[in-house]
Order: sequence, then structure tokens, then C-alpha cells
Amino acid sequence: MSDEHKDLRIVSQRVPPPSQANDAIVMGASLVAAVGAVIFGLGVEFEWPLPLYGGALAVSLFSLGFAVRRYFADRFPDVVAVEPREIPSTTAADEDLADVRSIGRRPLIGRVLAAAAGVVGIGLASPIPSLGPDVGNQLRTTAWRRGARLVTTDGSPLQPEDVAVGGVSTVWPEGAIGEEIAAVVLVRLNNTEPKQPTNLDWVVNDELVAYSKVCTHAGCPVGLFREREAALFCPCHQSTFDAARGAVPTFGPTARPLPQLPMGVDDEGFLVALGGFQEPVGPAFS
Amino acid sequence: MTPIFGPLFDSLDERLQLRGPSRKVSNKVFPHNWSFLLGEVALFSFVVLVATGIFLTMFYRPSTDPVVYQGGYELFRGTELPAAFESIVRLSHDVPAGLLFRRLHRGASHLFIASIVLHMLRVILTGAFRKPRELNYVIGVGLLTLAFGAGFTGYSLPYDSLAGTGIRIAYSELLSIPVVGDQIAFWIFGGDFPTGDIVPRFFVFHVLLLPAVIIGAISIHLLLVARQRHTQFPQLGVDGHKLVYGKPLWPQQFAESTTLILWVGGLLTLAAVLVPWSDVSLMGPYRPGEVGNNAQPDWFMFWLEGVLRILPGIEFSLPGGILISGPLIAGILVPGAVFTAVAVYPWIERRVYGLSGEWHVLQNPLEIPLRAAFAIGIFSFVLISSAAATNDILSRMTGIPIETMTWLFRFATLFGPPLLAGGLFWLSRRRLRRRSLEVATHEQQEVDRYLAA
Repeated sequence: MSDEHKDLRIVSQRVPPPSQANDAIVMGASLVAAVGAVIFGLGVEFEWPLPLYGGALAVSLFSLGFAVRRYFADRFPDVVAVEPREIPSTTAADEDLADVRSIGRRPLIGRVLAAAAGVVGIGLASPIPSLGPDVGNQLRTTAWRRGARLVTTDGSPLQPEDVAVGGVSTVWPEGAIGEEIAAVVLVRLNNTEPKQPTNLDWVVNDELVAYSKVCTHAGCPVGLFREREAALFCPCHQSTFDAARGAVPTFGPTARPLPQLPMGVDDEGFLVALGGFQEPVGPAFS
Repeated sequence: MTPIFGPLFDSLDERLQLRGPSRKVSNKVFPHNWSFLLGEVALFSFVVLVATGIFLTMFYRPSTDPVVYQGGYELFRGTELPAAFESIVRLSHDVPAGLLFRRLHRGASHLFIASIVLHMLRVILTGAFRKPRELNYVIGVGLLTLAFGAGFTGYSLPYDSLAGTGIRIAYSELLSIPVVGDQIAFWIFGGDFPTGDIVPRFFVFHVLLLPAVIIGAISIHLLLVARQRHTQFPQLGVDGHKLVYGKPLWPQQFAESTTLILWVGGLLTLAAVLVPWSDVSLMGPYRPGEVGNNAQPDWFMFWLEGVLRILPGIEFSLPGGILISGPLIAGILVPGAVFTAVAVYPWIERRVYGLSGEWHVLQNPLEIPLRAAFAIGIFSFVLISSAAATNDILSRMTGIPIETMTWLFRFATLFGPPLLAGGLFWLSRRRLRRRSLEVATHEQQEVDRYLAA
């Protein structure tokens, strides 16, 4: 009929012998597939357990696949064929159509047109800055202010005694609970004197010290405290900080200490910030 | 043809002249090998992903606004949850078959990426990327990165505790890009983390942007395969350089592919019944400042997570205020370098060995020492650094302190891949020399060699 058809050359052809066994297999597998699908439908409808209707669907799909396979194996000869790789070249008629030549006239005009198209393209990208605010100072400031009380996640202010010995708690600036970048971990050191480079003026009762909870590596919450070594530990990438020595990194992938929160006690005996963080908190940016 | 299909086809043929093209399509020859089905498995996983994804989209709420869960699941009834997480809990516990669809979707996403990776491994090892197929190879590498993007955004959408932490790390990695990173991060996230825009935007990426691009790329990928025809393994008595040898689309390949899609569906359903994929209900919603132990991302992100964990604390400035940090290296530079190396490898190999002409017959990677070294170098690096992402779990299981474990992985990642690559390079070169051969520079040479052996 056509040239394309001649491209396929059959190398070998094996006609399967008629087999009643195969017919029975196709019939059986088809039935199983149909029954499985019915169980699936009923199961979803009547809210049977997931393993039952899900399992029925799996069995149904497996057996339908099997039935298709056996059906084709019996109904069609097993053909092995070859076809040539060359992609036929375009016909002469196609070439004529594309062969309208441009006239070599004043090349500058064409370049101006191309440049203008480029400018239009770039111009279309100008809404991109509306996708987000300018960074400005946002990464360098948090809600911590002089006099801001340290409050727990449920909003209660803390007195120095409220932190368990050798324990840690997560605190926020009053009025900004859940502001991720302002998270602070409050540590009560046990049997360890705070040492340099900890700013000792910001340590309460020689044992309470507060650090940014946002890891200086990749920003995970530095949530774990190993009391024995007074080590703050980030569960994401195992950065480890010495809480008794200004939270300097002692192990792991981070390069910088956790910034220490200037902390004191107000007139009513509650823990307050004496100011914002002195360095940007969290991971590096430039 | 069946009584229904025959007349229907005839009437369509009268109007559209289908007989010629359809015969041509059904005569298309498919070479046979199990590894040629890996790409098909990826395609069928994608079909399952789209189908289950449409169902999930009907229920998912792309918002982090707090809502009170009122459904039937005891653990969260009456609690305030981010809307996204609440809709996931509802899908899992209150929508009939919702959990099945969630697990199917999740399982299919794992299979999608895994089969793409294995398909790529097959293509690299056997040399299916060589001229004239370089473009399609690069599209394939692009598809893998798109699949990563779809996987990551999908992992983030439930907004559970781990998802939020993963988004935070991705945000930190964007921030680490010198000079422009912070502004780019603000553009993508709509401001400083965590904004209310993240989930709606990730939703748009996940259900609209990425699937559209993936569908486009898959279409081109398949069109190019059809246009350029398949590669094949050498076959005695067939000049593979000039002929494609295999089974025609109709009926054999059709039967095979139909079976495959049904079995992939069956396998995913079985997995959805047996494996509690994606049961994030117990993890709880993301709340800033909280994360638990065992904070691992999806497995396909392990290699980058591993690099992030084992890099020592480095941060230094280059002139011009450019800061080089761990997240920059692990999150941007390493994946950039690996994907670029993989994408340009076809041209490197062709240049290094002075290869000429077109290549259609697949070969043993040991025939080309550079390829053997490249493949084992890249893949061992990915595997070892992936293992490094489990250093905390391994440490707890074995009792080896986390510090020692991390140092072991530092050495293994640094020295393992170069040693393996060098060793395999040496082995494959010796193998060629023993047969007094050089690398074949054009295909006929390679085919003759095969026929002589």
C-alpha cells in the first residue's frame, strides 16, 4: 500500500498453537479482575477497611494485566521485525515551500527589530519584584526589644525559677509568639559556670542564658540539650554548641555561634530582653 | 478489528486519512530488553500521579490559616491546625478512599523518581546518550530535576512538622546564594520565612507549573525517541547501525506496555495497602521553633542532606562580599555541579576519545574507561552522601558516637568516589589492553569487534 509499510521487514514469526488451557487462564484472570474491581467499588462505598478494598484493587489490576498478556500471546503471532534507521529526507515539495529567500537589504533594521524584541522580553519580566517585599533590614532584625518579656509558646512570662535545672525552654518575645526568626532557647546551666565568650552581663543568676534557637547553619530549631556537656544540639544536621561558652560550635556543619540574647530581670522579677540581638540570627547570607 | 472499533475507525479514516499514519505507528519497532521498560515505568507512575493528584486536589486546602478540625479522628478533633494540615487529616480519615489515594500518590512519586534515576543509569552505562541523542538526554536530565522539584513541593504541602523544617532548610539554601540570594528567597517565599504565601505558592508549583512543564518535556522526550528511533543491544546477524531490531508496536509492544501499566498500578496499590506512606497525621503540624529527632527529607534528597551534614563548619568571604557557606555548597553548588557534569558528559566523552559518527548500538560501559569511571564516581558519591544523611540513625543503632560516624562519612565521601572511579578506570583500561584494543571511535568498529568476539 505505502512505502512506509515496506520499511518493516518481518524476520521471524511464530504462530502460537491453539490452547484451551490458555483460554481458561484468560477467562479466569478476567473474572478475578472483574470481581476485584467490584469488591473495590463496594468497599469504598460502604467504607470497608482499606486493606480489603485496596487489596482487591491490587489483585484486580494484577490479574487484568495477566489476562491481557495471555490474551495477546494466544491471538497474535510472535513477530520479530527490523526497520531501517534512516529518517527519510524531506520531499522536494516541502523544500520549495521553505525556500522563499529574504532580500539582503539594510541589515541594521533587522538588528534593531531583534533588539527591540529582546527589550520587550526583558520588560515582561518586570512584575517579578512584586512577588515579594524588598529584603531591607528584615533578616537583621527580630521582634526582640529592650524590655520585651520572654514568654513561653502559650504566652506566660517567665521568672528565673520557672526553668527546670539542667533544662531548656523555648521562648518568644512578648507579642511575637511564633515569629520563627525570634525563637530563643533558654538554658539553665547545671554544675557549669558560664565562661567567655559568653557575655556574662546577660546571664541571670550565673546560670540562665538565652540564645537564638535558629541554627546558624541551615535554620533548623536547635531543639535538643545534652545536660552533661551543656551542649545545644540541632537534630537536623547535628551542629553542636557549647551553651556554657557563648554557644560556640563544638561540632557539626555550622561555623558561627548562636547569637546570645541580652537578658535581664525586670522590676516584677520576670525575664526580659535588654535589647535585640547584636548579630543577625540564623543562617548565613550575603 | 472488532465490530465496534472497525466501523468507527473507517469513518474517522474517511475524514482524517488515518490509515497510513496509524499503520506506520503500529509498525514501529521496539527493541527488547527489560531495562528499556524503566522509562515506561516512569511514564506510567506519572500517569498515576496525575490521576490521583486530581482527586487529592479536590480536597486539599492550600493555606496555613488556622482552622479547627471537626472530623472523626480522635487525635486532632477540636484542635486548631493549619488549614493545609487539617485538610490532609480529613483526607486521610474522613474521605472514603482518601488515604488510599494519598498513599498511591506518594508511592507513585517514589517510583517516578526511582525509575527515572534507574532509567538514567541505564542510558549512561550503555551509552544511549551518544550522538544523535544528546538533546533528548539533556531533556531527560531536566526531567529528573523537575521531578525533584515536584517531589519536594509535594512533600511540603501537608505542612507537617518535617515539611516545615524542609521548607526552612530550602529557604536557608536560597538565602546563601551570594548577593542576590536573599532577594530571590523573598520573591519565591513572598517574604521572610514562614509567610502565609509559601503553601499557596508551593501548591501552584506542584499542581500547575511543574506538571505542565513535565508534561511538555515528556512529550518532547517521547517525540524525539520516536523520531530518532531506539537504541538497542548488539545482535548477531543484524547490522544495528542501520536497522532497528525488535517487536512492532502492534501487537507485541502494545500488549507489553498495557500489561506493564496495569502491573505498575497493581504494585502501587499493593504498596499503598502494605506501606503506610505519607501518614503524617502522627507527626503533627509544623510549628515554628519545633522539630524532633530523625529529621530526614525524602530519600531522593538524602544526598544533599548528607552533604549538608558532613561538611565541616566553613564560612569565608571572597572579595566583593561573596560569602561561601555550608548551605551554599550543599544546597546549590554540589547539585549544580553534579547535574551540570551529568548533562555535559556526552560532549566530554566524544571530545576525549575523538568519537565520530552516530551511535545506535549499546555497549558495555567497561569498553569506555572514562564512562565507567564517571558513572561509578557520580553514583557512589550520591549513594555514600545519601547514607550520610542517616548518620544520626546509624549512630543510635550502632552505638558509635555521632561525631565518629560523621567523620567516617567525611572520609568515605571524600575518598570513596575518586578511589572507585580511579580503580574502575584502571580496570577497564587493562581489560581493553589485554585484548590489545583501543576505545572504538566509530560505531562500525565497535560492531565488528562484537561480531568477531
